[in-house]
Amino acid sequence: MTELLQNLIDGLGRGSIYALLALGIAVIFGVMHLLNFAHGELITISGYAAYAMFQADFSWYVVAPAIVLVSIAASLVIEWVAFSRVRGASDFTLLLTSFGIHFLVSSVFILYVSASKKQFPRPGWVTNTFAVGDLSIEVFDAVVIGVTLVTLLATVALLQRTMFGLALRGAAEDFDTARLMGVKSNSVIRGAFALSGFLAGIAGIFWLMRAGNTAPSAGISPMLSGVIAALIGGMGSMRGAVLGGFVLGLAEVMLRSRLPDGIAPLTDGVVFLMIALLFIFRPQGLITVARAERV
Amino acid sequence: MKLRKMLSLIFAMMLLAAACGDDGESSDTTADAGSDTTADAGSDTTAAAVDAPPSAESLDIDTVLAADLDNCAEAPSGDPIKVGMAMDFSEVVGFVDIPGSKLVPYVAELINCAGGVNGAPVEVQVADVGGDAAQAAIAAQELLDWGAHFLIGPPFADFALPILQTTGGQVPLFVAASTEPTLADAAANSYLVSFDDTLMSTAAANWALDQGITRAIVFTEGEGIPYSGYNPDVFAQAFTDGGGEVVSTQTYVWGVDTDFSSQVNEIAGIADGTEVVFSAALAEQVTALRGQLEGQGLNDLTYIGTDALDATGLAFVENNEGIAHTPHVSISPGDRNDTLLANYEAAKGEALESRGFMALYVDSMFLGIQAIVDCGCVDPAEIGEAVQNISGFQGLSGEITYAGTGGIPPKSVPINRIVDGEDVLVDTK
Repeated sequence: MTELLQNLIDGLGRGSIYALLALGIAVIFGVMHLLNFAHGELITISGYAAYAMFQADFSWYVVAPAIVLVSIAASLVIEWVAFSRVRGASDFTLLLTSFGIHFLVSSVFILYVSASKKQFPRPGWVTNTFAVGDLSIEVFDAVVIGVTLVTLLATVALLQRTMFGLALRGAAEDFDTARLMGVKSNSVIRGAFALSGFLAGIAGIFWLMRAGNTAPSAGISPMLSGVIAALIGGMGSMRGAVLGGFVLGLAEVMLRSRLPDGIAPLTDGVVFLMIALLFIFRPQGLITVARAERV
Repeated sequence: MKLRKMLSLIFAMMLLAAACGDDGESSDTTADAGSDTTADAGSDTTAAAVDAPPSAESLDIDTVLAADLDNCAEAPSGDPIKVGMAMDFSEVVGFVDIPGSKLVPYVAELINCAGGVNGAPVEVQVADVGGDAAQAAIAAQELLDWGAHFLIGPPFADFALPILQTTGGQVPLFVAASTEPTLADAAANSYLVSFDDTLMSTAAANWALDQGITRAIVFTEGEGIPYSGYNPDVFAQAFTDGGGEVVSTQTYVWGVDTDFSSQVNEIAGIADGTEVVFSAALAEQVTALRGQLEGQGLNDLTYIGTDALDATGLAFVENNEGIAHTPHVSISPGDRNDTLLANYEAAKGEALESRGFMALYVDSMFLGIQAIVDCGCVDPAEIGEAVQNISGFQGLSGEITYAGTGGIPPKSVPINRIVDGEDVLVDTK
């Protein structure tokens, strides 16, 4: 029982980061019908910004908020420079554009910075633990879960209690009708990218704290986790994205801990097999979204 | 509107720059032949007896390294020795191949500055394999078309094997930074320059046993997987054969995982704090794992890893004190490797990002040239035969012998450890 609870906490900690990433992807998918494979590049760019700041002797207290700001700024720049040029194009064009951004960002860092990983210090408390009964809980997991809950509550408040949130939800439901009702598409889309960047920034702080380094392809792993979590939850569903993040995190930790030694190296393969089975029996993901055609 | 157009233009230029940097086109980094003044480049070009003492006609490395680019010998004027470098500039192994492809042309400059090799200049051409197997074959073909006498290739079978298929075993290939035993095959003209994984992980196991450690925790990516799984396999076997016991085998994703929560929870229930932790993981992974284990109160574990720790900058990451590893070269201040790297930095205005692996790249070129000196030939197939007869070559990375081997030089393995923040040699196996 203790081991199960321990796995549950570890899984929730990991799943919290996935949930934030998936929510950012779901927000963009909701308004643009774009599965944004460039989402992870926000963490790559933020990681290099963090590295530069550590080189200038800034501490995590300064670097952490800077990561969020850089992520928001990068998200808006990517939208402005790339996605706004192909707005209204087919889903496939949007998808290719997001791949293009991903490869462009990686290549720029390889060409003009380095192919090597750039190291920076992890905060000292990342690996500290505290005991609750027989459980040994990492401070990091507790902080991640707490911050994620606050962020999700703030996001819910933003979506439920502001005009922007109303417009965003309306656009996600039916963009054409929302525009006819006076919703400005530019504002909604840029707002969505800013929100997506904010969520990626929060996730990026924890991802980078744990990793202690960045690299040109640092964004691939978080991007894949976020996309898979969003798919598990049901593309376009923000609640589903959060749920998918927690499910993915728990599945990874539980399987790695409980699979027999002989097949433990296949943990990721088993996770993907389970996802494949989910899509066979429930192709729309965990939560079904009534979807209208987006612009 | 103008701003939008300008940003679009910048975006297009960035796309173009990125595309140009990744298109696999080879770049000619031919080393300049030295100029004026006089100096003897070294020995004559007669073929050496197979088992002749290498000192009789060996490349004079010290003379080369002492060359002053501001005061060169008479420029060599013979037919050039062509060194082809098929290097991976992608993130996969760019962290060693990029600095390696900078240092080798610099050393070729030094050779030419010292008068060349028996009056022949050395030319180096670099082609990018771009992290892609198909591109690796194209890069190799470009270098063969250029007339390379031998090739220096990237580590990892993904890229080295397509190069071997392209050469068809007709041109010697030195897989500079690889420890993968399957890439060495003298019959296919493919050679490791370093010790292999078997020797490396056996040395790590024996060192741990020498410390009086009898319990081991092994992290693997899966049995039999090249490098990330094979090294733990070898370590576990050697450790057990030496009387030790592997008390826990954990899995992880090499190069990716930095959260080891589930593994650490399991280890916490097994370990008594006296164990050695072995993996072929990267520096940031080992230090992350160590942090999480220490968070569980396991503060006295011993850590040893492979050459991946040196490749990924163990000496420069936090929480590295006491971690042992098996670098290819243990560099001390003022030694030949340190001097070469310092001279490169002074000449080129930039420090190379990798240090310990660089000797392997330079030795690859030296070995190819030595074979040409030995056989007095320029036919790649004959050069390959001469490579197979090299014995006792004193390179920057240690003594290298191919004679009587399958292409894996039986080298000693340095054991380094971070002591008081310094990466120091503590043993040699």
